[in-house]
Amino acid sequence: MTKLLTTFQDRFADWVTALIQHLQISLMALLVAILIAVPLAILLSKSKRLAEASLQVTGVFQTIPSLALLGLFIPFMGIGTLPAVVALVIYALFPIMQNTITALDSIDPSLIEAGTAFGMTKWERLKTFEIPISLPIIMSGIRTSAVMVIGTATLASLIGAGGLGAFIMLGIDRNNSSLILIGALSSALLAVLFNALIKLLEKAQLRTIVASFAIMVLGLFATYAPAFVKSSESKTETIVIAGKLGAEPEILINMYKELIEKETDIKVKLEPSFGKTSFLYEALKSGDIDIYPEFTGTVTGSLLTNPPQLSNDPEEVFEVAHDGILEQDNLVLLEPMAYQNTYALAVTREFAEENKLTKISDLLAIQDKLVAGFSLEFNDRADGYPGLQELYGLNFTVNTMEPALRYQAIQTGDVNLIDAYSTDSQIKQYDLVVLEDDRQLFPPYQGAPLMRAELLEKYPELEGVLNKLAGQITESQMSEMNYQVDVEGKSAQEVAHNYLLEAGLVN
Amino acid sequence: MITFDQVTKVFGTKTVLDNQSFDIADGEFLVLVGPSGSGKTTILKMLNRLIDLTEGRIMIDGTQQNQLDFRQLRLSMGYVLQQIALFPNLTVAENIALIPKMKGWDKEKIATRTAELLDKVGLPAADYLNRYPKDLSGGEQQRVGIVRAIIGEPKFLLMDEPFSALDPITREQLQALTKDLHAEFGMTTIFVTHDVREALELADRIAVLNQGKIVQLASPEEILQAPADDFVAELFGGVAHD
Repeated sequence: MTKLLTTFQDRFADWVTALIQHLQISLMALLVAILIAVPLAILLSKSKRLAEASLQVTGVFQTIPSLALLGLFIPFMGIGTLPAVVALVIYALFPIMQNTITALDSIDPSLIEAGTAFGMTKWERLKTFEIPISLPIIMSGIRTSAVMVIGTATLASLIGAGGLGAFIMLGIDRNNSSLILIGALSSALLAVLFNALIKLLEKAQLRTIVASFAIMVLGLFATYAPAFVKSSESKTETIVIAGKLGAEPEILINMYKELIEKETDIKVKLEPSFGKTSFLYEALKSGDIDIYPEFTGTVTGSLLTNPPQLSNDPEEVFEVAHDGILEQDNLVLLEPMAYQNTYALAVTREFAEENKLTKISDLLAIQDKLVAGFSLEFNDRADGYPGLQELYGLNFTVNTMEPALRYQAIQTGDVNLIDAYSTDSQIKQYDLVVLEDDRQLFPPYQGAPLMRAELLEKYPELEGVLNKLAGQITESQMSEMNYQVDVEGKSAQEVAHNYLLEAGLVN
Repeated sequence: MITFDQVTKVFGTKTVLDNQSFDIADGEFLVLVGPSGSGKTTILKMLNRLIDLTEGRIMIDGTQQNQLDFRQLRLSMGYVLQQIALFPNLTVAENIALIPKMKGWDKEKIATRTAELLDKVGLPAADYLNRYPKDLSGGEQQRVGIVRAIIGEPKFLLMDEPFSALDPITREQLQALTKDLHAEFGMTTIFVTHDVREALELADRIAVLNQGKIVQLASPEEILQAPADDFVAELFGGVAHD
């Protein structure tokens, strides 16, 4: 509990930002959904068949898993707020439409007959009595949608739209339950609050409801206003550097920022824990972000559409990665740092001693009792589990899971073998044994800044500045820094700054 | 004057009104009476085009009715329903003001006329203006329903079994009220009922309907003294022997 409170205090500024983002995304989605669903339902309510059909369609929308929907949008809309809002709108439509149609449908036909006989037009009937009478039911549909949208908006952080979900993701990633709780509780409380507020409105007069919506719209635009002002002010010299989930990329991008801002006039905005590889890669190509740290092995293994032959020479891999990505996407990969953050297989010390394991080929003898916990990516990559099967002839039970959960799974004994990154702080934290890759399956993974070629043309000074890190940072240094952030709870900025000081790169 | 000229209405395969011709004089109180399904409500709803005719034509003051502007036609016809159908989200005053507003009356005129008429139907305006329909008894609601229908000074008043859901005492009170209002304002009134006593009480002329045909159209006295056929005689038989 104390830990929860201190985490909350430490992260209060982040929390406020996330809360505002969460509200922006949710309210925008809710508003758009209302503006689509209510008029559409009114139009369709005259025809039973059309109404049924549209409910079927919106109902089907709701059954699409939200994560899949977000994934499907990336090619069209990129990442960020837009696809998140669009996905939420699609979810919010159904309850509002259904309730509006039901409400209009259940209006006493004699009232409609009276209105018609008095000479009212369809629109006059709607505003005189049909909508006012339907309002409580329509509002309860809006309430259902609001609660759902606020809950589902936690997924927005997966595609770089921020919100309270960022706390949950970060918490899962860092194995920090306080962060998860802060994210989950805030979003739950927000949903409860909105539920109560809209419930109050259900009994209110039309005028009160319209006024509340007007306030909501104004409030929403007010929160966007500072962003507009800021973006018009500082657009000139600001670049955005993003990082994947986890401590290591966050430390690296803080180093980039400090170096760039010290050596040049360029301002840097950081987007840590922006998402998984594919999100960052798409965001870089579309220009949503300007730079992110990538690994040579990931470029050759995942990003190049025609993956080259696997090589185990770091320099050769860098060259292939550099040339390939430049040709394919006009992206520039600068010189890599020294450390290798390659894949590794890890087991608990106890399990290693019990079975006399030191290298990967030792696993062959005990593969019947192996239960592996692999990340989805590792399980699918040619240099991951398929490579283990082919090169080592291994074959065992695999459970796939979020990367951050593997360490918990091996601690609890649910699995006894995991894939890891060689600089993961958890290897030290949990006293795991890394098995030697005795047949050189895993290619070299060296980190280096990846950016669009146009950016480098515009700011050629970036190359010199960022290359100060080329060949720097050893594996043990990186692992130690990760440990300081993940386990000791230091901020990435502080850890990055300390390294630059010690290395004499800043003073 | 309203003229039905060989009017037929067919719903699907069922002929509910079969080639009927008759006139309704200005200021007349015409009661349509007959068993359910005889076509009386169909005649009423054809007048304000809630139902459109299948064949023939209806003339209103010399113009074919379906050539008239919808809104003008409907605003010229007050409408009182059996279900009363006051709008539950509106107060008594707001319900009554609907039609005058559509006619473009100013607020003052609406307020004055509303107060006068409410007083006339026995609902003191000060007490009732701001009440909602759910707070009124059935009889009170229908009084408001009548005020709502006549405040716009319609030339015609259509009443579709307006009192059949009310208790006998209230029904008699409202029959008397309707008679008084008709005497005072003189609007042509077409009144549908299945209650022959009500028909005899109110009508200048009664149209007796059976299976889509008017079997007799005459004054109450004539109908009682010289029923056109056994059906009419039987229908009014109970009353004649009172």
